[in-house]
Amino acid sequence: MSKDKEKLFSKQNRALLTDPLDDNNPITVQVLGICSALAITVKLEPAVVMTLSVIFVMGSSNMIISILRNIIPNRIRIIVQLVVIASLVAIVDQFLKAYAYDVSKQLSIFIGLIITNCIVMGRLEAFAIGNGVWKSFLDGVGNALGYGWILIVVAFIRELFGSGELFGIPVIPQFIYDLGYTDNGLMLLSPMALIVVGVYIWIQRYFNRKLIEKD
Amino acid sequence: MNRDSNKHTYLFAAIMVITIAFVLSFTSESLKELKADNIKKEKMQNVLSAVGINVSRDESEELYTQYIIEELSLTNNGDIDNAVSAFNINLALEIKKDINTQRFPLYVANVDNNKYYIIPLRGNGLWNAIWGYMALKEDINTIKGVSFGHKAETAGLGAEITQDWFTNSFVDEKILNDNGDFVGVYVTKTNNDPENTDKNDNEVDAISGATITGDGVSDMIKERLGKYLPYFNNLTNE
Amino acid sequence: MEDLLNIFVKSIFIENMVFAYFLGMCSYLAVSKTVKTAVGLGGAVIFVLTITVPINYLLNEYLLKPGALKWIGPQYQDVNLDFLTFIMFIAVIASMVQLVEMIVEKFSPTLYSELGIFLPLIAVNCAILGGSLFMQTKDFINVFESSVYGLGSGIGFFLAILAIASIREKIRYSNIPEPLKGLGITFIICGLMAFGFMSFMGIKI
Repeated sequence: MSKDKEKLFSKQNRALLTDPLDDNNPITVQVLGICSALAITVKLEPAVVMTLSVIFVMGSSNMIISILRNIIPNRIRIIVQLVVIASLVAIVDQFLKAYAYDVSKQLSIFIGLIITNCIVMGRLEAFAIGNGVWKSFLDGVGNALGYGWILIVVAFIRELFGSGELFGIPVIPQFIYDLGYTDNGLMLLSPMALIVVGVYIWIQRYFNRKLIEKD
Repeated sequence: MNRDSNKHTYLFAAIMVITIAFVLSFTSESLKELKADNIKKEKMQNVLSAVGINVSRDESEELYTQYIIEELSLTNNGDIDNAVSAFNINLALEIKKDINTQRFPLYVANVDNNKYYIIPLRGNGLWNAIWGYMALKEDINTIKGVSFGHKAETAGLGAEITQDWFTNSFVDEKILNDNGDFVGVYVTKTNNDPENTDKNDNEVDAISGATITGDGVSDMIKERLGKYLPYFNNLTNE
Repeated sequence: MEDLLNIFVKSIFIENMVFAYFLGMCSYLAVSKTVKTAVGLGGAVIFVLTITVPINYLLNEYLLKPGALKWIGPQYQDVNLDFLTFIMFIAVIASMVQLVEMIVEKFSPTLYSELGIFLPLIAVNCAILGGSLFMQTKDFINVFESSVYGLGSGIGFFLAILAIASIREKIRYSNIPEPLKGLGITFIICGLMAFGFMSFMGIKI
């Protein structure tokens, strides 16, 4: 009996892309990948570049490990995963230094920290090591998007209220400043990122009741 | 082949290592020129901005060759060392060297028939290094302009040293006091001259909440400029 | 000597791994809510940081950074291996953690079972790799300075993690709105504590 080949973007596969945006968000639900998320969200540009880098790393690493999943010796499984991730990150780093020099300076060590970003390793172990290539790729990209979504939301709020700009372009009309409004300097300080995420989680769980922790 | 056997494990590891070494070296080598180019152009940008020429990285190389007419490496006696390329001096490493082997880069610019001396600076801010370029007019006293950079100063506080409002306050300040002695420029809270109309006081207004960074700037200027005095004294004595 | 003390105090309070750079929080926040486990994780981090930072410093000095290979011969002056940084640092960290695990298991099985999953978890702890990467940007002049930095960073992490755990234990029984309970309020509290630590900023030793 022949099995129907699952469509490329079947409901299941689409869920791999959309679940991590809310229900299974890496940062606010799985509580992974917080580290690099916070210090670079002062402005939108580094947040976007970081998101794109993570999408590349996670999509590729998930694919590679999935392709190799039947021949990786069990004993060195974790090391192989680490090495694959580290190499992909090194490649991203080199490209940034060559093609996006200014942003690479802003991101500095945080590109390297993608390696220890629990999400990347987490998805390899949880999904790629036991699933097909296309599904793994979608899972990697989906989780990276979920992670990136939070980054962008936080960066949006911090840049808008902290410096009145988006992507470096002033967006608050002058008359609002003249009325007495000033940029909230507090937003530029890194602890605000934590607080903004905390509030986001509050709002997210208010609307998505099933995420509330049962104690 | 059993994937958990020793043979398979070693083979897999060996192939993986070789593949990755190859891929990484290849990527790094092919991008090497682009990376070095970015760094070089950024330096040119910074040197030019000290004399008030602010350009994008793409334009910087052309304008640099146009405006910068000389690059000198000086010894601590004020002599010129022709063997060392001034542009390639890595200031961060150079200042750790012994004073006799250290070389001090100096750029001479010609903008609209005016001669300027551009001196690279490096010092310590609150968290990490700060640096900059100071351009002096031909009288080797009046400041034409400055540009500053930093590694890790606080956004909104120490990081403000890069902003125009701060660097502009240095324009036309003097580095010599009324007696002709070298004092540099002090970033101070007790300026009493908020509009910065007095250009002979050797002072500029500090940044609120960034005292230590400001002190770092003052120290950096005094310490680095001081090293160029032997050369400048030779110049004025000729 | 004074320099060493400076680096030490700076890395504990002013450049605290958790409150200034938010590194190392993932595994902690996700896994433990008690002081006991915090002490376990913190102690392990101190240990691993103090060992891996100096080793990576030596690697960086004599192998990785531009011009590092000149001790082999002057023709290697231009070789720049820094693109291997990530791989080498991670390799060192993973091996050290493995080594520590084996040693602890052999000499103190009780400690080993108490640390439980934390030890292997540390290999991918952002704070450990972060410590080495920051060390690379700091231009230390010898291996002692980097060791002191590693030790200080570890202790700073330990203090921070301990503080958060104590607070989390206390607020378990507070009247917090449901959606904010647990993770949400923890984030906000961490943010407030981070602000508190910023007060150390202007200190000059």
